[in-house]
Amino acid sequence: MSFRKSLGIRHLVCGSCNGCEHEVNALTNAYYDITQEGWDIVASPRHADVITVTGPVTDAMRNAAHATLEATPTPHVIVAVGDCALGEGPWVGAAEAGDGAVVELGATVTVCGCPPSPSAIRAALADAAERITQRNPSR
Amino acid sequence: MTAEIFREHVLAEALGSGVPLGAYADADSLHYLFLREANEPLVLTHRLGASRAASAVSALWPAFSWDEREMAQERGVCFDALPDSRPLRAQRGVMPEAIVAYGEGLMHFVVGPVHAGVIEAGRFTFSSGGETVVHLDAQLGYAHRGVERALEGRSVFACAPLVARICGSCSAARSLAYANALEMLSSVGVSVPVHLARLVIAELERVYNHLGDLAASSSGAGSAVGFARGMALKEEAMRLNQIASGHRLLFDAIVPGGVSASVLGERRAVRAGLAVLERRTERYLDELFGNASLVSRWHGAGVVPPDASRAFGAVGPAHRASHGTVDIRAFAPYGAYRGLSIRVAHASSGDAFARCLVKRAELTESFRIARDALAAIGDSALPDVQHLSPGAGSVVTVVEGPRGAEVVALRTGSVGAVERLHVISASYRNWPLVVRAMEGNIVPDFPLVNKSFNLCYACADR
Repeated sequence: MSFRKSLGIRHLVCGSCNGCEHEVNALTNAYYDITQEGWDIVASPRHADVITVTGPVTDAMRNAAHATLEATPTPHVIVAVGDCALGEGPWVGAAEAGDGAVVELGATVTVCGCPPSPSAIRAALADAAERITQRNPSR
Repeated sequence: MTAEIFREHVLAEALGSGVPLGAYADADSLHYLFLREANEPLVLTHRLGASRAASAVSALWPAFSWDEREMAQERGVCFDALPDSRPLRAQRGVMPEAIVAYGEGLMHFVVGPVHAGVIEAGRFTFSSGGETVVHLDAQLGYAHRGVERALEGRSVFACAPLVARICGSCSAARSLAYANALEMLSSVGVSVPVHLARLVIAELERVYNHLGDLAASSSGAGSAVGFARGMALKEEAMRLNQIASGHRLLFDAIVPGGVSASVLGERRAVRAGLAVLERRTERYLDELFGNASLVSRWHGAGVVPPDASRAFGAVGPAHRASHGTVDIRAFAPYGAYRGLSIRVAHASSGDAFARCLVKRAELTESFRIARDALAAIGDSALPDVQHLSPGAGSVVTVVEGPRGAEVVALRTGSVGAVERLHVISASYRNWPLVVRAMEGNIVPDFPLVNKSFNLCYACADR
């Protein structure tokens, strides 16, 4: 049995408007159903291969975001979902909004959009699965 | 007027006919907002002295508790005797300590800010004796971006797409309130077909939100089928949003001066899609409410007594589920809701069942009025967006969003820039109720009670 390219996904909300959460949640509805890929949204970072981050990383969430990443086993991939997480969204320059998940948390996969469509998020997750497999060929 | 006399004025309005909307401060004044039937919002203003001292209304009437804590934290107002004097939100990234109950056999545990599901961030600190929740402290603010200060000084038009992105779940309602505000400041009225198109967009927002809420309330009660079917319907509603507005969450559909060019372009497809969704939704609702084992879990969970609902200034379906009668669409109608006879949903048991029942009735009504509005618009093209030139002034507008009253208080300068913009969301009003609704319930019912409100965090945090 092979678990290659299966993913445990932990979602980390860092000050998004909830628009991206509507679309991440859509991945589990009957139309997108990512469980068919062997992917699942998991309840704990300890079970995660991928951390999806939304929002600009607010001052209030920064410590909790780092604690979540520290609790995630390696190898893992951080995916910045949506314009805010890319550091490009509507709240650039707002005093208590940070610079996004690429700058602040080291996200290496990005998916733009306000919010991105479920299909675009799904494509980014496939990219993340590929990267994890490359980094850890024995998996 | 002294601070004490001003407080008496506010209290008299709160205990009289005024529906409390909220309160905010700017550089030199406090503003307490109320709504009376068939009227524009009433603004009670008190000029602050150099000491910025004020008397806390929430010491005597809890509805303004969050507003006053926020005014103290964000705008340096010095209230005497705030019942809860902690900052409302984190300060420099540190959340104030939670309030817990002490007593023999009581234990404390914390959930969040990162939650197990795909949910916005918030910290819930439970004090419980065995399974029974004795006290719950909800601390939000993790999505605090500094929205209001970021808008200050920008052009009123540049702010429109930002206002639409304060919160993704009630974007259209807030855009509508903001458009109404700018149109009032410009003394411009939009045409009847535009009002009707805005109604369709606003009702589509209610439809996809209520479907999501009912799905989540099913999940909270352990019904996987109710959840899966509800989420599939919500997806179908979001696809209809895309056809109707060019955006799955209706962002930027309602703009100052009109509606965007992508709104209701494919009128025939919207009509057909709405009819299919209505049929499928009614079947879903019949099956959901016909499922005795599901409905029995909703009964008695998270009761909000009518006096608590009133004292905390509850709005929206949560208010109407606890004997409340106010729906802004009927109470102080605006746009196409003027002259429309809305059947206001209500229930009296104040529990999760009542909140679901109200949303069920509102879904049926939303389909009806959206269908009628589409028929009234006909097939002719919608007019272009009107040019607005808002002068310097202040205005408060209120619309009924999916979760209740969505308020925009706007002050503009002579150059068409935002001087102060304060939004009060229905979720902001109702969060203190979720806390009260949990007391005496069992810990495992928190997801159910919480999801029967399904409040947003982003528009409460801003």
